[in-house]
Amino acid sequence: MGLITERTPIPQIQPVKFILNWGRRYSLWVMNFGLACCAIELIATSTSKHDFIRLGVIPFAHGPRQADLLVVAGTLTDKMAPALQRVYDQIPDPKYVISFGSCSNCGGPYWDSYSVTKGVDQILPVDVYVPGCPPRPEALLHGIIKLQEKIKDENIEEKFSGRDSAPALP
Amino acid sequence: MAGTPHPLSPDETASRLRAHFGEDIVDSVDQHGHAVATVTVDRYHDVCRFLRDEPEFACDYCDFTGGVDFGPEAGFEVVTHLFSTTHHHNVRVKVKLPHDDPVCPSISDLYPASNWHERETIEMFGISFEGHPQPVKLLLSEPFEGHPLRKDFPLMSREAKPWPGAVEGEEEEEE
Repeated sequence: MGLITERTPIPQIQPVKFILNWGRRYSLWVMNFGLACCAIELIATSTSKHDFIRLGVIPFAHGPRQADLLVVAGTLTDKMAPALQRVYDQIPDPKYVISFGSCSNCGGPYWDSYSVTKGVDQILPVDVYVPGCPPRPEALLHGIIKLQEKIKDENIEEKFSGRDSAPALP
Repeated sequence: MAGTPHPLSPDETASRLRAHFGEDIVDSVDQHGHAVATVTVDRYHDVCRFLRDEPEFACDYCDFTGGVDFGPEAGFEVVTHLFSTTHHHNVRVKVKLPHDDPVCPSISDLYPASNWHERETIEMFGISFEGHPQPVKLLLSEPFEGHPLRKDFPLMSREAKPWPGAVEGEEEEEE
């Protein structure tokens, strides 16, 4: 990606953008961050009946350093939040986050709890929110398709210019 | 297992406890077939030791220790549920504590199982357990302030927004 600089004529590399984004959106190694009952739905989505490998989502990355996609499924508590932050930080760019289920979207039924973080978007940038309590596997499949649409139209220059990672390109 | 267990009835439990502790058994009731004895703070530890060591009770299993908040006037209650794996009877021991500065003896030395339960009660209700070997937080994160299971603990989300599940026309019970 180092070949793309400020002087790169972006309109002329549209085919490259298409190929690159096509490749990226159909090989999403998913990091399973299951925290509650939503994790069961996430796992069900990965198994034979719903099978998100057919969409190119590969279950499951063996660690955050091998992952592209983080699915936060379940109730995030304030005590767990630093661990989630750490996992997110360990995922190499470009990375995507799906917030799966009401709890991780906004706190869900625990919206007034003393211990639950009211939405993972308070600590991570979330790309796709999947509503439901818990959402069905089809909902996650839909969320993955939405994420892939997002990746398809992504501006590679913007994405790879070190927008949210510390070391900037020379 | 030698033979069938012979659980003591709640009435028998109460009368035997009263025979041994007299006035220190403040109250005793039968709740769903379980003996429930309210005892004074001073004899709480002794009652638990008695229930554990006396062969006719042989309460060798501590199911839980927890707290209940009854508000500023009625204060707190510490509830310990004991069970006998030999006789198959349940005994609950309750202690009434004042709302200001609630202090209760620890029974962690008698029942190691109650150690974590007492730590949870410490952080959730602010009840201190005298003689607890490690009175630090169990579940809450370290910087957490307050005791969330107390009735007067403010839920910040509800301060900002009323509970959306309230039925139309129904009066708000709290405050």
